[in-house]
Amino acid sequence: MGRYTLRRLLQLIPVLIGTTFIIHFLVWQLPADPFDGRCGQRPCSEAFIARMNEQFHLDEPFYVQYFIFLGKMLTGDFGVSFNQVPVINLIEDAYPNTLKLALVALTIEAVIGVGAGVMTGLKRGGFLDNLVLVSSLFLMALPIVVVAFFMKYLFWAQLGWIEPNVSTEVRWSELIVPGFVLATTSMAFIARLMRANIAENSSADFVKTAKAKGLGSGRVVGVHLLRNSLIPVVTFIGLDLGNLMAGAIVTEGIFNINGVGLTIFRALSLQDATIVVPLATMLVLVYLFMNLLVDLLYGLLDPRIRYE
Amino acid sequence: MSDPQIAAMSRHEDEDRSAHPEMTGQVRSLWSDAWHDLLRKPSFLIPLVIVGLFVLIAIFPGLFTNADPEYAELSKSMQGPSAEAWFGYDLQGRDVFARTIYGARPSIIVGTLAVLLATLFGGLIGIIAGYAGGWIDSLLSRFTEIFLGLPYVLGAIIILSALANTRSGIGSFGIMMIVTLVMALLGWPLVTRIARSAMLAVKHSDYVQAARGLGASPVRIVFKHLLPNALAPIIVIATISVGTFISAEAVLSFLGIGLRPPVISWGVAIADHQNLMRQAAHPVLFPAAALTVVVIAFVMIGDAVREALDPKLR
Amino acid sequence: MAEVAHQADVTEVGYQAGPLLEVDNLHVEFPTRDGIARAVNGVSYSLEQGKTLAVLGESGSGKSVTAQVIMGILDEPGHVSAGEVRFQGRNLLTMSEKERRPLRGNKIAMIFQDALSSLNPVFTVGWQIAEMFRVHQGLTRREAKQKAIEMMDRVRLPAAKNRYNDYPHQFSGGMRQRIMIAMAIALGPDVLIADEPTTALDVTVQAQIMGLLHDLQRESNMGLILITHDLGVVADVADDIAVMYAGRIVEHAPVHDIYRAPAHPYTKGLIESIPRVDLKGQELHAIKGLPPNLLRMPSGCAFHPRCPYRTDQCMTDTPPLYDVGGTRHSACHHWTEVIDDAR
Repeated sequence: MGRYTLRRLLQLIPVLIGTTFIIHFLVWQLPADPFDGRCGQRPCSEAFIARMNEQFHLDEPFYVQYFIFLGKMLTGDFGVSFNQVPVINLIEDAYPNTLKLALVALTIEAVIGVGAGVMTGLKRGGFLDNLVLVSSLFLMALPIVVVAFFMKYLFWAQLGWIEPNVSTEVRWSELIVPGFVLATTSMAFIARLMRANIAENSSADFVKTAKAKGLGSGRVVGVHLLRNSLIPVVTFIGLDLGNLMAGAIVTEGIFNINGVGLTIFRALSLQDATIVVPLATMLVLVYLFMNLLVDLLYGLLDPRIRYE
Repeated sequence: MSDPQIAAMSRHEDEDRSAHPEMTGQVRSLWSDAWHDLLRKPSFLIPLVIVGLFVLIAIFPGLFTNADPEYAELSKSMQGPSAEAWFGYDLQGRDVFARTIYGARPSIIVGTLAVLLATLFGGLIGIIAGYAGGWIDSLLSRFTEIFLGLPYVLGAIIILSALANTRSGIGSFGIMMIVTLVMALLGWPLVTRIARSAMLAVKHSDYVQAARGLGASPVRIVFKHLLPNALAPIIVIATISVGTFISAEAVLSFLGIGLRPPVISWGVAIADHQNLMRQAAHPVLFPAAALTVVVIAFVMIGDAVREALDPKLR
Repeated sequence: MAEVAHQADVTEVGYQAGPLLEVDNLHVEFPTRDGIARAVNGVSYSLEQGKTLAVLGESGSGKSVTAQVIMGILDEPGHVSAGEVRFQGRNLLTMSEKERRPLRGNKIAMIFQDALSSLNPVFTVGWQIAEMFRVHQGLTRREAKQKAIEMMDRVRLPAAKNRYNDYPHQFSGGMRQRIMIAMAIALGPDVLIADEPTTALDVTVQAQIMGLLHDLQRESNMGLILITHDLGVVADVADDIAVMYAGRIVEHAPVHDIYRAPAHPYTKGLIESIPRVDLKGQELHAIKGLPPNLLRMPSGCAFHPRCPYRTDQCMTDTPPLYDVGGTRHSACHHWTEVIDDAR
């Protein structure tokens, strides 16, 4: 286990370097001119450009810029934006909001997805089963933009239960509708995954043994069947945290939540690479470490998995 | 194993007309089985008809409407549906029905083309990695992981924003190609992962080991055994992906970094009228409905194909 | 010997006052897309305390389905269409689930063929044995653990205490089957049903497991139903043998009688297909043909398409269980010929 963890951590290094390098390259090198439109209508003054070049090492070759960035990240220095605001402040503002939104979405998808999956997996072919099968297919297919607008239309324009925008305090209760929007696809996927697992395991021999042991049906399903069927679902939910945080941009935009995605999006439209690169890197870090964590967790959940 | 036995076996392989019709017959019967299964299923046929209709609309939009999607009459701005304009008029007084009809082509072209590119490239890398193994596999897997580490929406936003300034004056076709390429670039690693594991599973299966033991050449093993069997999961992911890619295109266009004028896009139409929802929903409603129907139809086809090709899941 | 049809006696095979367990004229059906599969067609047998009944048959003969009905764990969509299962005189099939559950595992227990898939892969073996004590007797975790370790010792699992926290996949096949047995006999059941308990094991391990079952049975005086397709396994252990074919019992007799002179062509075929050292070099007998499709059962005697003794009568009349003398019964119109041939 220890050696496996170490090996996985070592494997993560080239991936991290590769991904951050790509982000760095795309953000800094692809746009023609970092000062385009930065000083309003007129072109920026020579002095300003010189100062900026000096501060952000824009005169250095590209790979040197990247290694300077990498070195700073490793020492926890996220730098300042073009407007001289420390990027760490932006991270501290935005990250908790995105994390909260992702956690709300995760809770919703886990509760509804697992519940629907268990109920339909145990009773296949019934009305409820077909309802869940069809609606989960629709939910998986619905573009998130459409879901978001439907929810906003229903709960704001029609019912008036929510405000169109989430307040700056980002209260948990305000995140329920956006969290639901963010969770839709995964929720439907979990319901189907759980249904398939329950269906497969309920004809497994060990379930027959559990019945033959004289256990009540609550214990057969709740302990023996559920524990085995949950393993793939738990790993999916773990992986999804990274996905949800990185994929929250649309939801954050529509409900105006000051999260990482929206901050990145705003910075991109201002062409402020100094903000985009560290924030995006943080998202990628979360994503990759969740992958690793889930891999290790799998071994704890399923004793049959052995790490060489 | 004694020598005569080996000789007998390799002879068997040489005259393989007698040995192989059965094996290839099995492969063929998986596909023809799946095909016959699909043709009997309403959950496949109905979405197929819908997709067919949208493809027809995409090719010949003029057959379905006489109105010019670009003709704007500001006096009719936001007018509701009427006999004259079935879906009403948008903010600029353009015919929503015509714009919904003309919006099908870019969506379908971008979606299918991006999936095609991602599947060809990703599938090739995955099959090579799975077949070769060893250091080639390690290298390709790390390379794939680097791209997998880049979350889809985030990656697309970064690349498309970076390209935002360089792509003025490239015309409708140019805009569509850039979006297609970016989506393919971010979509291929998933195909690679699936193709690689499918290849690994088939490679280690007993019947391939048996074919190898009988002295079949590597080329023969790849084309007769590995590819036909590893192909099923790749086709399944590709079919489902067409729907999700169209959906992703709408999201990017909605964010203002995907398709944009002069290309007519459902995602842009939704974005343009999002804040007017309380006044009138029809300019959002109809493009959103068209988008939803197309995506669901593609996903349903993918789902039916998956069920047909994977008997275990029935 | 007189050829007398005991239609009325068919359900009373081996019946004596107060047997432990009786299966009485049991019928089980499985509705399928292509029609109703009649998996069990009027099976009757009984089991005495301390005795072993071997139920012999090919896969699909209905021997396992009958056992699942006794346990009450028959899979959907299978259901009992007629018949009774009586345990100590009470009909299990009319009991409510609430009345029945305390019997299951406690009074009637079962072990299965494949111990690896029958044990839950994600719980330790100790926990799975201890669960019996915790659920049925309400023992605390610690008491249950103590009892579980005792059971592991009792099935001669080496270093039981150290292996309490191991998972099923960490054991060998034979050891896993011992764990299944420990779990089944944990609460001292009156009836133990062993469904092909040694089929998945190596030959040397098979003998050890059969020996263990035999010893445990003698120690605790339980009734044992041993389901198998292998005649070789039952010779030393069984008291009676019931041979099943296509959902019916075709022969029912004390073990010695069957080996000496089978009274049904199917039993005869089974015995002749056992490889024997003294017949080395001769061709091995095999029963020709395949077991019947349960959806399209042959008319008359279900065995007639494969039977060397077949006459026109066999194709039209379903043979009853003829009384062959003693406690023996055979469902063959020509049982006299079969017995004479064997002698």
